Formats: sequence, C-alpha cells, structure tokens
Amino acid sequence: MLDLLVIGAGLAGLQAAITAAQAGARVRLIAKGLSATHWAAGTVDVLGYAPAAEGAAPALVQRPLDAIAGVPAPHPYSLLGREGVASALDSFVALTHELGVPYEGSANGGNLLLPSPVGAPRPAFLAPRAQRGGDLSRPEPMLIVGFQGMRDFYPELIAANLNKQGFAARAAFLPLSLLNSQHDRNSVQLAHGLDNPRVTAKLAAELKRLLKPGERIGLPAILGLANHLGVLDDLRTQTGAVIFEIPTLPPSVPGIRLHAALRKHVEALGVRVEIGMEGIGFHAEGDAEGDAGNIQWVETSTSARPLKHRAAKYLLATGGILGGGFNSNHLGRVWEVIFDLPLTVPQQRHQWFQSQFLDPQGHPVFRGGVAVNGDWQPLKGDGTPVYRNLWAAGGLLAGGDYIQERSLEGVAIASGRAAATRLLQAA
Amino acid sequence: MKRLDTDILVIGGGATGTGIAWDAALRGFKVILVEKRDLTHGTTGRYHGLLHSGGRYVVKDPGSAVECITENRILRKTHAHCIEDTSGFFVVTPEDEGEYPDLFKAACEKCGVPCAEIPVAEALRREPLLNQRISRVFEVPDGAADSFLSTHATAQAAQRVGAQTLVYHEVIALLLEGGDGNRRVAGAQVRNVTTGEEMAIHASMTVNATGAWAGQLAKMAGIRVDVIPGKGTLVAMNHRVVNTVINRCKKPADGDIIVPIHTVAVIGTTDERVTNPEDLRIEPWEVYLMLSEGEKLVPSISKARVVRTWAGVRPLYQEHYSGSSRDATRAFTLLRHNNRDGVQSFLTMTGGKWTTFRLMAEKAVDAACEQIGVRQPCVTAETVVPGIEQGHYWLGHRLHEVEDLKLQGELVCECELVTRTMVENAVRRNPLVTLDDLRRDVRLGMGPCQGGFCTYRACGILHELGSKQQADARPPLQVSARDATWEVAYLQSPAHNNGAAAAAPSPLSNQAITVEDANLLLRDFLQERWKGLTPILWAQQLKQERLDELIYLSLLNADHLPDGDRQGPLSTFWRFDTTPNEKTERDHA
Repeated sequence: MLDLLVIGAGLAGLQAAITAAQAGARVRLIAKGLSATHWAAGTVDVLGYAPAAEGAAPALVQRPLDAIAGVPAPHPYSLLGREGVASALDSFVALTHELGVPYEGSANGGNLLLPSPVGAPRPAFLAPRAQRGGDLSRPEPMLIVGFQGMRDFYPELIAANLNKQGFAARAAFLPLSLLNSQHDRNSVQLAHGLDNPRVTAKLAAELKRLLKPGERIGLPAILGLANHLGVLDDLRTQTGAVIFEIPTLPPSVPGIRLHAALRKHVEALGVRVEIGMEGIGFHAEGDAEGDAGNIQWVETSTSARPLKHRAAKYLLATGGILGGGFNSNHLGRVWEVIFDLPLTVPQQRHQWFQSQFLDPQGHPVFRGGVAVNGDWQPLKGDGTPVYRNLWAAGGLLAGGDYIQERSLEGVAIASGRAAATRLLQAA
Repeated sequence: MKRLDTDILVIGGGATGTGIAWDAALRGFKVILVEKRDLTHGTTGRYHGLLHSGGRYVVKDPGSAVECITENRILRKTHAHCIEDTSGFFVVTPEDEGEYPDLFKAACEKCGVPCAEIPVAEALRREPLLNQRISRVFEVPDGAADSFLSTHATAQAAQRVGAQTLVYHEVIALLLEGGDGNRRVAGAQVRNVTTGEEMAIHASMTVNATGAWAGQLAKMAGIRVDVIPGKGTLVAMNHRVVNTVINRCKKPADGDIIVPIHTVAVIGTTDERVTNPEDLRIEPWEVYLMLSEGEKLVPSISKARVVRTWAGVRPLYQEHYSGSSRDATRAFTLLRHNNRDGVQSFLTMTGGKWTTFRLMAEKAVDAACEQIGVRQPCVTAETVVPGIEQGHYWLGHRLHEVEDLKLQGELVCECELVTRTMVENAVRRNPLVTLDDLRRDVRLGMGPCQGGFCTYRACGILHELGSKQQADARPPLQVSARDATWEVAYLQSPAHNNGAAAAAPSPLSNQAITVEDANLLLRDFLQERWKGLTPILWAQQLKQERLDELIYLSLLNADHLPDGDRQGPLSTFWRFDTTPNEKTERDHA
C-alpha cells in the first residue's frame, strides 16, 4: 500500500513527492500531462509585483521575502510566513546545485531584473545560472544575438526596448543554419543540436566575431539540454565573455531542464512517475453521518483501461485553470476536476473579467481556488476538511493571482514542501 | 489644406464601396475611395461569410432571392478565389416540419434557385455530424466567401484601373454648395486619422456607401436617412464541424445557419435592433442562444470549443419602417438625393448583402452616370479581379503549400498557417496601422490561441522590418495609403508570395517602426482579441487564455513595456466593453 499518491507533475507535485520520499514515505506521482513548467520562463518567481490599489500600477517588489509578511490571508504565503518560504527556497537552491541545474539569486536577496523576450525587465527571485548573467544591474553592455529565421526570438525588439529603459544593448543576427538544417526548428530541437560540442564551437567562433570588448552576450534559451552547463562553459571559455540566456516562447527549454532534473531525482528516490493519467473519479468512505470521510482510491483513464490508485494519503497539485485542475462552463460554473472541491472562484461569469486584458488588477476568475487550513487540507464552507486524507498545494490554491503577481513558482515550491511535511506528520 | 479632385468620391471601404469604386473606375471615371478605418472593418468584415444561393429568401423576399442567385453565378466567375464551393443544405429538423419545406421547394423553382431534394442518408453520409433526426434535405448552391480577401481583391482591381484608395481617412464634413432648394454635395473634407492631416476632396458625384453609418453621413448634408442598425452576433467553433453550409428549412430566425469558413464553422446569427452602429457589445445570452440553436442542426456542437465571437451591424433600410429588424427587407436601396431631397450630386447605396455587392455597385454607378450625363455600360459582371487564376478557394491550400515548399520553420501563426513571408508581404503591400489590419489580410491571430503566440512574433517582425531603415529622424508609425500598392491577390498564399516579394515596393521604405510603436501594436492587438473572447471564455478557451496570460505577463512582462503613455490612433475603436453584464446574465439565466 502506498503512503502517498501525488496528483500533478508541476513544481508543487514534484517538490511534495521529493519531500515525502526523502522522509521515507512510499510515494507514487501521477499526472495528466507534463506540467506548466514546460511553458514558463524557467525562473523561480516569488513575488514580482505587489497587488495594486484600485487604478494604480502594480508596484515592483524589491525584496520579496520581506514582503511575504504583508501578503494577506488567504494567500498561501500568509500560511507559510517568511520563514516557510525562505527555508523552502533555500533547500530548493541546494537541491538544484546537487542535481546540476543550479539556481541562483541576487547577492542582496532582492528580486533580479532579467531581460524578457520582448526586452522588458522581468522580476525573478531565483534564476538558472545561464539566465543569471542577464541581470540588468550588471554594468556590461549587452549584445543580444538572434538567429535569422528563428520565429520565437526577436533580438532587435529586445535590444530596442532595453535601450529605451536605459540598459545598453545592441542586436545581431546569425544564420539559423549554423545550428540546424531541419525545416521546422523549435527551441527544443535547437537546444538538442547545441548539445553537440562541434555545433557549440561553430557558434562560439561566430559570436567571437560579433563581440566588442566589454560586452556580454545574450542568446535565446537554447543552450543545450542534456549538456547545458557544458555548453554554457564552452561558450564562455571560447568567447571570453559572459553568456546569458533569455527565455523564449513555449516550449521553454529552461523549464524542461528543471522538470527533467526534478523528475529524475524523484524517480531516483523510488517514486514511480506515471504521466498520461487523467483523473476521472474517486471513492471516499466515511465512518459516520456528516463525517469528512477517507478517500479510498482515485481512478484515472489511460488509452488502455481505467486504473484505480489506492493510497493512505492524497496530495492534489493539479494547478488551477492553467494547469488543468479546474474546468468551467458557459453557465459560470468552475469546478475542481477530480474531487469537485469547493472553490472560491466567482460563480457568475459577469464577475470573471475586467474589460482590459492587461488590467493591473488581474481578472477575478483567476484569483479563486481551493481554500485550505493551516495543515494544507482543502476545506468545506464550514471550515472543516473535505476529506481526512486529502491535502493540496500549488497553483490551485485560493488567495492570489500567481501569474499577475509573478509568484507561480514560489507558491508551488513552498506550498508543495509545506503540504508534504504536514501530511507526513498527520496520523 | 491639401486639395484633390475627382469625378466620383466613394465613402465607405466595405464590399459595397470598393465595388462601386471598381465599377466606376472600369467605366473610365476618376475615382477616390475613402474609408475611416481599414477596408472591411465595418459590416463586411463581420458577417458569417455566406455566399447566398438565394434559398434563404425565396419564401419571404423573392426579389432578394433572384438577385442572390444571379450574383452568386457571377461572383463564382469574377471572384472565384474568394469563394469556397461548399454547396448548401436546407434541412428539415423535427421542429421545422409543416408546410414550409414544400413552400420552400416551390419558391426555389419560382425564383430560379437550383434546389434538389436529396435523400437524408446521402446528406448524413456527406455530413455525418448532422442531426440524425432530420426528415428532408434540399441542396442549393450556397458557398462560403472570404469577405476580407474579396474586398481587397476588388480594391486592387479598382486600383489597377486608376482608382485611389485612402484608408484611415475619415469624412469630417461634406462640401456643400448652393442655398436652399439648390444644394449640391461637391465632395468631402477628410482627416487622416493617423496623422490628423486634413484635405478636401472635390468630386462631381459623391456616393455614400457607409452601410450602417449611412444615416450619420447623410445628416452632414442635412438629409434624413433612417438606417435600422440590426446587430448580428456570430460564434466561431474551432473546427469545421460541417463542410457544407447548413440552413434550417424554416422562416429565417436566430441561430439557424452554420457556415464552414476557412478553418472554422460559424453559427449565425441574432438580429437585435441597436441604436448605434458601433454598439457591438455581445451579451452572453446571444452566445448561448447560438449554441442551443446550433444543437438542433449539429447535436453536441455546444460542447465543442468556441474560439471567438463577434458582432456586425446590418445596414437595413426601409423607407418609413419601424418594425423589428428581422422583418426588414434584405434588399438594397439606392437613394437619389436629387429627387428625394433636392440635393444634387449625392447618392446613398445601402441595405443588401455581401452577395449582391456587385449589383449594388452597378446600380449606384448607373445612377451616377445618369446624373453626370455620360453613358458608359457596366462591365463588372464580365471582368475578373486579380488572383482569379487560383481557382476556387480550397481549405487545404495553405497546408499543401507549406508542406510542398517545406515552410514549417517559417510559420508565424501555426493555427492559421501564416508564414513570415506572408506577414512581410502584407506589411509591404498594404497600409498597416494596427495588427488587426494584418489579421484581415492574412488571418493572423484568428485560430484557437487567438494571438497567443503570433502577436509577439508579428511585432518582432514588424519592428525588424521597420528598424532596418536607417532613418535619422523617425516619424511615428504611419503609412500613407496612397503609397500602398494593394497587391493582395496572393497574400493568402504561402507559396505565391515567395518569388514576388523582392520586387514589391514598400510603404515602409521611408519610415520606421519605433519600439514604442511595436509595443503599442502588441498591446492593442491583445486588447482587440480580448474583446471578442470575454463572452466565450470558459472550458478549454479559458485555459488557453490563461496560457496567453502566462506568456504576456509572466514571460514577456508585456504590461511593463515602455509605450510613452501613447494611445494608438485607433485604440479607442475597440475600447467598448464586452465583459458579461450582470443584468442580462440574470435575465437570461
């Protein structure tokens, strides 16, 4: 019998599975897909912008950890506190170094500002080593190099926007055929190509030709997959310049590197990971009338046949609307797809949206989610747990719009770890 | 103030206006057409894309039906590449039995609309998703028409014979001469909405082809024209659930037609009287109504994914009419203001539908000839527009060309198979003020992700094209419409664009797109897409929108781009609120 079934393979689910497995629990992880990590920038955003007052622009958060204390309930950060978030991130950083995908923060513990693929400074708390070099507080002027014919990266737009905001940058192009001769080339295929040292050497020679003294070089985030740190080192050594990656449109190579490293690690800890398992039902039994009940099994569909997964405890980390943990219909109903947990989403469509896409307040429909208690157990309206053996973590939690406030990864990592810790302590 | 002189000034860049410009230029007149936004921005670009066989009107409006079938046959020759020969079914669902089907069949015969009753089994074999409980099926020569391409092709045809097209030029006053009882419209004063520059266009004859705006324009000449703005809401499903136009065989009503057009199927439509032709707000009940009526034709269609909703306003006209817009005639009306109102040199052509635009142009220009006192026969029925050699449109043409020429790596918009070359050619050949103009040219952003990926890419490409020019002083983004070539016949085609690109003159050649322009284009296009999404965001499309948020907020940080607090000259055009409204939601719950 399993001790824990984790549902969801995003950062929250993987972090929870790692935490539980490290503590000796028998854990299985199932997920419908590969997680939204594959779409994101690959950084760990903890809190980029503080919620704006009505009509005001959201304020950039300089020091996210200091701001945690001011985030009101029911935000997951109010449950975690500064210490909870900080210690989760510390252990995440240590783990990434151990796994060969090192994440690093700024020297003073504040938000880094990194160039986005459109040249806006995006706040991030931790960045993969390759993105760290893009830190906009560094003095070196930037040479942004793109590839002619690569459809997901526009160096002139990036450089022009950076210049406009006072960061010295210029753009240059190299032919895409330098990297790849296929007809269709997405960022993942390009990254695979660069794992080959001969391709990397060709790129380094071209970069050296473009480089002016004192410049650092920004490239699309395609610098290798399996041999990423090797590629980064080779380019740095061969050009003599600081090399940094700028994330691209999805699929995200940095996100894939992180996901792959964490998944490999969790499997090494003895956790079986099964992808392609869509939750379609469950069964719970209660001891008495009005009792919260215990989940007995969760059923998933696969191409072959439905399967029942039994465990003593269950952790739900399927994400919200983005991750696929919630579905919705035209009548204004939003529901959690596996257990139909109560949600704090406004159940009337006229309350879902603002009239402007880029409204600084964000859209109310994305703010709602699963409300939990201090033990990370989903709650009913009366404040008691819905099921005695169910916990929740990550993007499906109520309390914030994690994309709007740029806290997606911080919430996932810290709540994943905290929920797993609490459920291990539970009887 | 700058002054231009012409024989005929056409106001309105929809199907009717471009048709008139084409016809008049072919008859040897000097023609200028002005449009306050992009061509087809108004009603023409907002309909379901049906090439009428006339079947829809045979019972209620036989005159319109005859016009439709005649024009249907002509347009299949003159605008073949803008038409997909889908054929059309009129199906009798369990709710539509009674005497209407027999009336329909007899009326088709009377109006000359080819109509063959086919076995239900055959119809179901051709359209397997059709309601299995239909009892009778009539086949008619309906089709699907690309109103963006056809209008551009018509404008290009007009340009080739000397007509001048000025987009983003708004009429701010009509030039009036003479006193009471002897007044004459002598042209118009127009303003370039992107630069603010004004000019006077003097014309021997001014034609009001502004559709739903015809009353507003006529008022500038002191003339009362009561247009009934009938708003129609349309809902696009993310698949072509049918490949044939499917009509309910009954008196026209809301939600009784599904048109397969390009990659989607469109359910239409409502008919709501509105007070203002720019009142395009879509109420949730209209979307639900389309879906539930659509169910009667294709059961479970409402469970498919809705990608977009939009509304257009019909320019219905009926003298002294005050009933509901559904009952107003679909026929067109030519108002000769010299006879009707004592105002010389001014005509209004309104009403009608896309299918009859050529005929409307013919009648308008006939009247113009008569008043100017020249005799020139109409030749549009025998004159093809550029691009005709491509033959009838077929759905697979883009995929075929992309695969054949191995253009996969070139795709800027994977949903609609738009290549970088297509974007570059559209930018070089057409006046472009917003990304929405580019959407109408090449279908950028029209697929399931509604601009999620291609908005960023298009801005990057436009900025690259613009910043390659080494202009020292960079004026703001603006393209003089007069420099544009309107070479649009092949813009829809990934393959044909390849060779022709280099030679094309570029309206961008003497100006550049600043980064603030690019940022503004990005922001405005995201907002334009958002406007048509809020009424249909649920289920998969809501998840898609959250992914677009992840891209534009979290990844790109696009809400913190420097745009110098600028407003696009056109930003306000789509600032109307389409968010679901509490009251209507309650009323129709």
